[in-house]
Amino acid sequence: MSIGSPDSTVGVEEHPASAEPVRGAATPHGKSPSRIAFDRLRKDRVAVTCASIVLFFILLAVLAPLLTKLEGQDYSTFHTDLVDEFGYPTIGVNGSHWLGVEPKTGRDNFARWVYGARPSLIIAFLATVVGTIIGVVMGLLAGFLGGWTDRVISWLIDFVLSLPFLLFAIALVPIVESMRGGSFNLTPNEQASIRFYVLIFVLSFFGWAGLARIIRGEVLSLREREFVLAAKAIGVPTRQVLFKELLPNLVAPIVISASLAVPAYVTAEAGLSFLGVGLVEPIPSWGQTIAVATNWFKADPLYLWLPVVGITALVLALALLGDAIRDAFDPKTRR
Amino acid sequence: MLYFVARRLVSALSVVLATLIATFALFFVAPTDPAGAICGERNCTQQRYQEIRTNLHLDQPKVQQFAEYTAGIFTGRDFTTAGVTQHCAAPCLGFSFKNDRPVTDMIKTRFPVTLSLVVGYAVLVLTIGVFVGSMAAKRRGTLGDRALMTSTLVISSVPYYIVALMVALYLTVLYPILPRGEWTPPSENPGKWIAGMLTPWLVLGIYNCTAYARYSRGSMVETLSEDFIRTARAKGLSDRVVTYKHALRSGLIPVVTIFGLDVASSLGGAIFTERIFDLPGLGQLVLDSLNNYDLPVIMGTVLVASVLIVVMNLLVDIGYSLIDPRVRLS
Repeated sequence: MSIGSPDSTVGVEEHPASAEPVRGAATPHGKSPSRIAFDRLRKDRVAVTCASIVLFFILLAVLAPLLTKLEGQDYSTFHTDLVDEFGYPTIGVNGSHWLGVEPKTGRDNFARWVYGARPSLIIAFLATVVGTIIGVVMGLLAGFLGGWTDRVISWLIDFVLSLPFLLFAIALVPIVESMRGGSFNLTPNEQASIRFYVLIFVLSFFGWAGLARIIRGEVLSLREREFVLAAKAIGVPTRQVLFKELLPNLVAPIVISASLAVPAYVTAEAGLSFLGVGLVEPIPSWGQTIAVATNWFKADPLYLWLPVVGITALVLALALLGDAIRDAFDPKTRR
Repeated sequence: MLYFVARRLVSALSVVLATLIATFALFFVAPTDPAGAICGERNCTQQRYQEIRTNLHLDQPKVQQFAEYTAGIFTGRDFTTAGVTQHCAAPCLGFSFKNDRPVTDMIKTRFPVTLSLVVGYAVLVLTIGVFVGSMAAKRRGTLGDRALMTSTLVISSVPYYIVALMVALYLTVLYPILPRGEWTPPSENPGKWIAGMLTPWLVLGIYNCTAYARYSRGSMVETLSEDFIRTARAKGLSDRVVTYKHALRSGLIPVVTIFGLDVASSLGGAIFTERIFDLPGLGQLVLDSLNNYDLPVIMGTVLVASVLIVVMNLLVDIGYSLIDPRVRLS
């Protein structure tokens, strides 16, 4: 996949005198590929709807403290007076608890729901950023340097891709915990924050390889192009060739891969938390709430449906948005 | 061809070896305390702790431990706990002190469950998924095709465990339309086996059919526009023969590739399905072992799952190169 023809602008930067006429001629139809893709996205109704849903959840996560203050509750206070002796909440949806309270502990559902959006988004975005950076750097190095570097990195990619992701994620949790002294010796807060970083580590560790493979393939074909040869011929240092010449041409695969990674990571985080190997109390998280709420689903369906709707809506919107972004960037779908 | 197979074999072996080293390093060399983890943190006496250390040879150099572990896989080894020596026959993947059983035994008893699950799943995706995909490819661009592709995209964007959980809770518990998931060995009572596996099969199969329908549609669309299809049509062959005999055969190749890897990774434990439908398969084994810090079991399962993936990868690659000679060149 090659986007546009950056070859024509490379020379222009070097000769300021010739720059004006060339640029002037190019302006009327001179849109960058990213700009074209973005314009196409803005016209895509599905993409706009999904983007607004994602934005809604981001705002929810960012404004969580404000929203709960508005409600007058917080996510950790127990209200044992609001549950009966069997643990069922005695109140439903009302003015002081907008979405009722949790069974057993009586913590506020609304507060836990808005705060639950936070770890999902933070973990997914951080893991995407880390995974993307590693993937791009590894792919660039393997594709551009070739030889032994390529062989080692390609082998590493094969290796990571042949590890069973879920099993490894599950296996890593007790190992990291026992490295820190075992789960019995950790305070809940310490355990929760360890899990948080383990999740980011695991997701980005398994996430970089796929992107690196794609980038490597792209670079293999790009490095034979004239603008790269020209840059090398005039003695541009390798680092600059990689990041100034090659990287701008890799925007499409990077954006596509990142936008498809985010929903996958939200899914994975909530899934692992559901299995009990992700986030733990006291961090409120949707996956964990689902696991607890399955025990109460007949008596208190709202408790289960809140995180279910949260994850489903967020992942669905992110995934469809990712798909729309891919269509917008992929030249094959150009009309 | 031989050169290709040999090269792939060497790289597969290197990946297996690296996985072995990596899992071993994770569980035994990293600054963890396997003996403490195995012994438990609540009622672990100093004597038992030391005993586990000596029996696991944790007091020996790491390289020797690794060599013993690897040798155990091929020749078996002995473990002693509380004065009783137990033989762990080859392939020995370690010994679970929590359950007082060799890990290989535990994996063997759990494997049929996961295998049953995967077999039913494979049948569903390869029939319904591929059929729907090729039908859509034939009717490319029609309203039906677009509706189908949009719905598969939407369904496959909802996390799998949410779908499975909702089906389990609402359709098998609250409104028992479908039978609850339950494990009965097929040798014991085939009818009960099918009844217990039916819901997991349907959920796992239909959810993943969406992905298979899209793969096979994409690959069929590409194949249907190739020259040999035009030739077949020009020869006057019927539409059915062209689609299902000529196009499907070559259109299925990429689908089978994905299928191979998919099956391999599911065999390592269809964790969510097993957890939600309460099937005692490999995934459930890992989750159980996690709860009581039974590290040798987790390590053994991870190893088995990785080897399955590597072997499947190898088979797919070799199979692919047999069908399509162009692959061998790259």
